[in-house]
Amino acid sequence: MNLRQWAADLRLGAKFAFTGGREGWTRVLLTAVGVGLGVALLLLTTAIPSALNVRHDRGEARSDYTYSQKVKPKADDTLVIADVDTTYGNKDIRGRLVEPEGPRAPIAPGLAKYPAPGDMVVSPALKKLLDSGDGRLLRERLPYRVTGTIAESGLIGSQELAYYAGATGLAPHINGWQTARISEYGTPNPVSAKSDPVLILLVLVVFVVLLMPVAVFITAAVRFGGEQRDRRLAALRLVGSDSRMTRRIAAGEALAGSLLGLVLGTVFFLLGRQLAGSLEVLDVSVFPSYLNPAPALAVLVAVAVPAAAVLVTLLALRGVVIEPLGVVRTTRPARRRLWWRLLLPVIGLAMLYPMIGKGRTEGDFNQYLVAGGVIALLVGVTALLPWIVEAVVARLGNGSVSWQLAVRRLQLSSGTAARMVNGIAVAVAGAIALQMLFAGVEGDYTKASRNDVNRAQVEVQLSRGVDADEAVAKFRSVRGVRKVVALAGGNLSDASVKSAGGQNRNSPVTIGDCAALREVAALPSCRDGDAFVVAAADYDTDTPVLAKPGKKLYLDTDQGMDAGREARWTVPQGIRKVAPGTDPSGMEHDGFLLTRGAVPAAAGQPVAQAYVSLDDAVPDVREYVRNAAAAVDPFANVMVWTRNEESKKFASIRTGLLVGATCVLALIGASLLVSQLEQLRERRKLLSALVAFGTRRRTLSLSVLWQTAVPVALGLLLASAVGLTLGTVLLKMTATTVSVDWSSVLTMTGIGAGIVLVVTLLSLPPLLRLMRPEGLRTE
Amino acid sequence: MTPPPGSLLTAENLRKAYGPTTALDGAEFSIHPGEVVAVMGPSGSGKSTLLHCLAGIVTPDSGSITYDGRELSAMSDAQRSALRRSEFGFVFQFGQLVPELTCVENVALPLRLNGTSRKEAERAALSWMARLEVDDLAKKRPGEVSGGQGQRVAVARSLVSGPRVLFADEPTGALDSLNGERVMELFTEAARSANAAVVLVTHEARVAAYSDREIVVRDGRSRDMERLV
Repeated sequence: MNLRQWAADLRLGAKFAFTGGREGWTRVLLTAVGVGLGVALLLLTTAIPSALNVRHDRGEARSDYTYSQKVKPKADDTLVIADVDTTYGNKDIRGRLVEPEGPRAPIAPGLAKYPAPGDMVVSPALKKLLDSGDGRLLRERLPYRVTGTIAESGLIGSQELAYYAGATGLAPHINGWQTARISEYGTPNPVSAKSDPVLILLVLVVFVVLLMPVAVFITAAVRFGGEQRDRRLAALRLVGSDSRMTRRIAAGEALAGSLLGLVLGTVFFLLGRQLAGSLEVLDVSVFPSYLNPAPALAVLVAVAVPAAAVLVTLLALRGVVIEPLGVVRTTRPARRRLWWRLLLPVIGLAMLYPMIGKGRTEGDFNQYLVAGGVIALLVGVTALLPWIVEAVVARLGNGSVSWQLAVRRLQLSSGTAARMVNGIAVAVAGAIALQMLFAGVEGDYTKASRNDVNRAQVEVQLSRGVDADEAVAKFRSVRGVRKVVALAGGNLSDASVKSAGGQNRNSPVTIGDCAALREVAALPSCRDGDAFVVAAADYDTDTPVLAKPGKKLYLDTDQGMDAGREARWTVPQGIRKVAPGTDPSGMEHDGFLLTRGAVPAAAGQPVAQAYVSLDDAVPDVREYVRNAAAAVDPFANVMVWTRNEESKKFASIRTGLLVGATCVLALIGASLLVSQLEQLRERRKLLSALVAFGTRRRTLSLSVLWQTAVPVALGLLLASAVGLTLGTVLLKMTATTVSVDWSSVLTMTGIGAGIVLVVTLLSLPPLLRLMRPEGLRTE
Repeated sequence: MTPPPGSLLTAENLRKAYGPTTALDGAEFSIHPGEVVAVMGPSGSGKSTLLHCLAGIVTPDSGSITYDGRELSAMSDAQRSALRRSEFGFVFQFGQLVPELTCVENVALPLRLNGTSRKEAERAALSWMARLEVDDLAKKRPGEVSGGQGQRVAVARSLVSGPRVLFADEPTGALDSLNGERVMELFTEAARSANAAVVLVTHEARVAAYSDREIVVRDGRSRDMERLV
């Protein structure tokens, strides 16, 4: 046997692929689509790590945090930059106010020059939002003139909302964390991208989950039109091909489809790359240019996927003996062995077991063990399932004729059913496991919040120097605001910060009007000018010492940031002791409570927070509050407390998973349909004969339904079990409370049942056509 | 043509075309209970179409078919299916056995389609299989038996529901002469003992020799050879 003969055989097969009539073309096209999807999916998946690295590097390159209390002196190469990030709806917006202090001020990545005061440059996504009707309220918040766009190098994703606005007078706001003076961008000590373990798990599971149905589809596709191909191969045997040659010719046919699939795959990948540029998942978006698979991996994919398609064809021919006078199928496949099928899932579980509880400690998280474990478990399930399907189907009893026909068919060729079940099991199991993982992680996150959303839904932290009364008045004027409570903080000490040297006694102070103070303690009666002391907790030993009427104390309302601006304050006679309470954020206010009138005029403007209660019936009320906050204090930090926001995020993940799982199941449904039609076509004569001796069409239609429903039901049952197990393992790995998300299990099962119904309904027209008596004609 | 008195199944002036091809062009046919009639003719002459029309599988474009005094063309598809289940039996060139079912399950199938319980249907099936000398194949699947054995199983299946008319389309077409003869012997014997009429489509004279009467179909027209004699 020489290479030339091999090449000639493969070439002949490739020729047959395109000259085999409609069935041949259909097979080539289906194979090409399957291989194309597989190639595109693998290329996209292999490109994800590099995309995340590019994002990380770009984020590092534009970093403007100094992480230092020490303020740089003003120079011709410095820039004052203020972090004025905001949120619009559920979207975070990166905002920076910039004020270059000299001609050599560092230019931010993606910018050619800084905008003049009152102007801004924006990301393309933000420009689109501002230009659209949806951005109406955001335009009010960002009243700057758009003079340009930020280039790709200054953004970490195509959908990122970001802007740089020119400003003046930023220097007094320098505080080391929100506003800083810098002479260069970038992190002084850059760290390499560290992947989030949960994200890695997500990518791995999605990778395996998506690939399995594609494999199932390819398997179904290369078998399409098998009968006609077998007849052709038999004819070749008659004219002198040996059995090896016929197999090579068959492989050549599959290779033609695979190579076409490679071309389609490249096209799908390029389209998918462009599409990925317009998507955002979990607030992460990428530019198409980020998605570059490593060349070695790309070559591996380009070789492995077509090779796999050819291998499937050869495996399909394993149970077929092509003789010169026809094709003989081995009637009963060899019995499946259990022992080796158990190995993979057991190895998978063994690899995952040591990782339990370590998913949140990055140092201890072994990515290789997790990756290997998840893949071994999911792929292992595909090895185990054929055995389980065979065992279960063999035990199914007799029933009606339609049931008997379906069950016997399944018993005779449980391999086809098992392949379908494999795809479904992996897809649904993966989807259930991911739903559980998200539900668990999200559940833990929500539980951590102590905010009382019944009392307030928005907290606004005003910056230093902002008049709280003015801010409160502004918030109260907003449509949909029910109530505003403003509380300021400070510190009372028996010695000045300057002179104490750390040896003084301290007690916290809360400042507000009577209504606001009632939010944090049970006041018997209150008038402006009153002062109270909260019954001290056991650990607070300073307050009882300081709360002696007539004692002279130092009041610092600037929280030590600008020491020396303390005012003298004397504890009034008859200061009343009140029971402690918590503010809407769940924080207890110990120490002294002072009404505005009790604060000496010499004290500086206290730093205040406003707690805003909203009428949810007013649309966009949160945006109105954010706009009001931005108007009164551009540096204000607005925090929306509603649990709804988190649950909305979770709902979008759920929807995404649901859509993904539905697409995957639809692909499996398409595979089921292709196999079903192929089976029906092969049985054309038999169907006509059954109709000839009076078999009701309903009986045959029902048998088609059972034939699809039984394996799918079995698959969904097993998938639920595997999904719940994998979900539990993943949750335990990330040290999250294990809870079963039954709604997702039911949804997935429902989608599966829907697919059975659709496949059956779509099979009926060809079934009815094939049952016509024309099938009996032999001439 | 006036149907001969006592006819069980009669066809008059049947016409049937598949697109531009005329399969039947005024064909006539009649058969009595217990009679074996061979329908002969070259390939493409329309003999299989005649059989399909007589069995109510295909509806003729025009003409009349009467079974036991009832007009077939006046029946609905469901009624004709019911008739085929209960009154007719079929044997085709290739046995058309369901490959997934065992031989006994295949033979029992017509009874089960008629609502007979599985046990009872399989008991009757075994008894017919014994008469056709294939009862030892009961638990085997069609793929595991020879062509001749499979055809005998198909004959048993055609007889199990006690049909009054048996339709056989080239029943020995896929068998060697020895096997073909054995199948024909058993088939005609069993049919005669059950007093079933047999419509036997064949192009082989040695198969037609098992019949009481021969009808030749050529270009869609039929000629009763006995009457010509």
